[in-house]
Amino acid sequence: MNRVASYLLTGLICLVAGGQFIQVITRYVLEIPVMGLEETLLYPTLWLYVLGAVNASRENTHIRANVLEIFLKTTKQATILAIVGEVISITVGLWLTWWAWDFTKYSLRVWKESPTLYLPTFYMDMALFVGLVLMMIYTFTHLIKHIRQLSDPEKPIDD
Amino acid sequence: MIEIALLAVAVLVILLTLGVPLPYCFGAGLMVMYFIGDVVMKGNILWGFQQLGNPVLLAIPLFVLAGTIMSVSGIAASLLRFVNIFVGHLRGGLGVVATISCALIGAISGSGLTGVAAIGPLLIPEMEKQGYPREYATALIANSSLLGLLIPPSVTMIVYGWVTDTSILACFLATLGPGLLIMFNFSMVNIHMAKKFALKLEDRPRGPDFIAEVSKRGFKATPALLMPVIILGGIYGGVMTPTEAAAVAVIYAIPVGFLIYKGLNLRTFLGASKEASTAVGAIMLMILFSMILSQMFVLEGIPQELVEAIFSITEDKAILLILINFLLFFVGMVVNDVTAIILIAPLLLPLMEAIGVSPIQFAAIMGVNTAMGGVTPPYASILYLGARIGKVKVTKVIRPAMILIVTGYLPVVILTSYWDNLSLFLPRYFGY
Amino acid sequence: KRLKISHIRPQGTTIDLELKDFAGEVKKASDGDLKMRIFAASALGDYTTVQERVSVGAVDMAVQPAATAASRRMQITAFPYVAENWKQAKSIYGPGGAIYDAMKGLYAKQDITMLAAYPVYFGGVALNREAIAPGDPTVEKGIKVRVPGIKSFQLEGSSLGYISAPIPFSEAFTAVQTGVVDGVIGSGAEGYYASFRDVTKTYIPLNTHFEVWYMIVNTETLNDLDKKDRAVLVKAATNFETKRWTTAEADQAANEKRLADNGATIIKLTDEQLAATAKKVRAEVWPVILKDVGEEWGKKILSQVAP
Ligand code: NA
Ligand code: NA
Repeated sequence: MNRVASYLLTGLICLVAGGQFIQVITRYVLEIPVMGLEETLLYPTLWLYVLGAVNASRENTHIRANVLEIFLKTTKQATILAIVGEVISITVGLWLTWWAWDFTKYSLRVWKESPTLYLPTFYMDMALFVGLVLMMIYTFTHLIKHIRQLSDPEKPIDD
Repeated sequence: MIEIALLAVAVLVILLTLGVPLPYCFGAGLMVMYFIGDVVMKGNILWGFQQLGNPVLLAIPLFVLAGTIMSVSGIAASLLRFVNIFVGHLRGGLGVVATISCALIGAISGSGLTGVAAIGPLLIPEMEKQGYPREYATALIANSSLLGLLIPPSVTMIVYGWVTDTSILACFLATLGPGLLIMFNFSMVNIHMAKKFALKLEDRPRGPDFIAEVSKRGFKATPALLMPVIILGGIYGGVMTPTEAAAVAVIYAIPVGFLIYKGLNLRTFLGASKEASTAVGAIMLMILFSMILSQMFVLEGIPQELVEAIFSITEDKAILLILINFLLFFVGMVVNDVTAIILIAPLLLPLMEAIGVSPIQFAAIMGVNTAMGGVTPPYASILYLGARIGKVKVTKVIRPAMILIVTGYLPVVILTSYWDNLSLFLPRYFGY
Repeated sequence: KRLKISHIRPQGTTIDLELKDFAGEVKKASDGDLKMRIFAASALGDYTTVQERVSVGAVDMAVQPAATAASRRMQITAFPYVAENWKQAKSIYGPGGAIYDAMKGLYAKQDITMLAAYPVYFGGVALNREAIAPGDPTVEKGIKVRVPGIKSFQLEGSSLGYISAPIPFSEAFTAVQTGVVDGVIGSGAEGYYASFRDVTKTYIPLNTHFEVWYMIVNTETLNDLDKKDRAVLVKAATNFETKRWTTAEADQAANEKRLADNGATIIKLTDEQLAATAKKVRAEVWPVILKDVGEEWGKKILSQVAP
């Protein structure tokens, strides 16, 4: 899974960087316009953002302020705090996922197109819903892991 | 309505304190607005997602990736050795090397963490060997690392320009003066502090040996020193937009890292791009939901209500600037730099314009405050990262960090607020 | 009831003031039942996003260009060189005109009711340098100009002899200022004065296209209003539109003068030069875009307007 994530994310970010680079070369060096490059690059860009966020959920490295954690004395307390955080994340996350689904349905119905190449925008609009679903799954597995840890304190923390 | 907005912010802060990942904290704020404030949610995801597609934002992942590649490729080490030959032999010189190297790295990277990530592992042990307390070295490098947000290019200024519709190039220039001043402060403070440490000093080669060493290390550092020239020269010289410059930085860094500095190989490259993409994904998701929350505030006319409420307290510019700096300080304590700008800039910009502070000066005020936020506990991401890299307890670095904040950042925060030339001179000089 | 209305120009500009008048009229005629909250300067997003937000009912109203993402056919309003003068423009884009009716129908399919068409200007080319052969489209000028991400403008830029560089609006000003591009196509005197005045050294009123903004409202929001308020809103929109058709031409001249007062050189072209330019662009751009929007449908509309 780690390898897949590495290659996928590397591929996407290089595609995006390369595309922008081509934009400079064609405009500044070759002086010919490339129509529709900008809008094409949007697809890998938005998928990069979403899949990057999914990977942050998988690795449990989302940005957070571990303020209370500094004051906690035992691992048990830390585990309980993690569980509370994950339950809240899932509650809020599911609500957001529902709205992302609403957006995806809208996008499917309206079937918008990009301005010059007429690429359907649905294929990037759906990224958010797909991403949030995956994030919820990963957050849920973290929750299960932490609950198990609570009932079996001998088990070492592995993340 | 302003009560519900405050409630949303309160819920946000509570969840933050509990350690809930930031995107969900903002999501909870949205839930408050939706369920209690009755604000329309329909169409908001659509709006937010389309905002993410703005090409201006694309500069963020690319500058972050360029910085990450730089820090794994060994470029940092060559920069460091180059700076070291000039000041390393002085008493307190190594601390100055740390600060200046972070500033140089900052001219390549757009984020506040590249400095500590690239310089920290090299210099913290080195400084300790020379007699600096480890926690002091860590605090100094973490503080200096945030120069990356003040020396252009800068992620926070890109976001500020984007949300307030201000020229990003002007914003870049606005924080440069304050950034250099902070660098100077840290250097001076370090030289003063170094008097108390029992330092073993290096000898510097003299005469022809010195020249030879300078040219040798200078030659090795050239590809790295060229990078800010390419980025900033390309942007201000009219070759490319900031986003394109970020892409060029990546494309340049890859062969330089693989072939010249050799720190980059397939494994580290894959690791660096995964790490950068993941960091960016986390930032973008947070931006998405904080943007939507901020937009809800705008839709409900909160900025206007806020301006009226504040004006009912006082209309005195000097007092208002103090209040705003206090507010920004507290915001910096609890959220990270980009989020602080997304939430606060649209709220306060109308107020700033009403009291005659230009959006460009406000960019600098927000820039300096949010950079400082990276090292002010309880939410001090860069300081914590530094503590992890320096392998010292967080509670131990806080004291030296506080000394540096008070002597290095605070005077510049005040100067930026009350002396507009500090931030406006360069933008004006370049015609913004 | 308070309606949120969005427009794309800063506070204090002509459209902003006209919308304030409009809001005042609505409030007065509805005895305070119906109020407006005006969001200037694309505070609710660029016009593409705002049109979608109006479509789903998250934003109530807007006055702005038509976004073509959900319907390619909306490009018909930005077709280059459809009208040659203000009189023609009014008969095509004004109430009852071919494009007016076509747009109204296209909006309706997106759950949007078009209340008014707001004529803005005939477009032109703004440069941050001196012009090269401004009246002769057959000369390759070697000048890079920023074009908006709309196919007809990109093709038109090349057809006029410029090098089209698609750069997003958010980066356009900086790009002109630093010299990434040397100018801009896609707007007119009013737009250039609003967003590019400090980098405009030359303005060429080439009449590239006729810019119309549409006052739109979410259909459900409109139908949910009680009968009296709805009538008030429709009436005020009609007044807003009627008044604008009487002032638009003078407003365009005023904006050209503002650009000139700000230091720009305005290059007046002869009727022959304009006609030759129109002919070339029509021949080169129309067929391509017509294919995109559906030839039969497009030709039916253009046949009602083409001189
Ligand atoms: Na920087
Ligand atoms: Na902080």
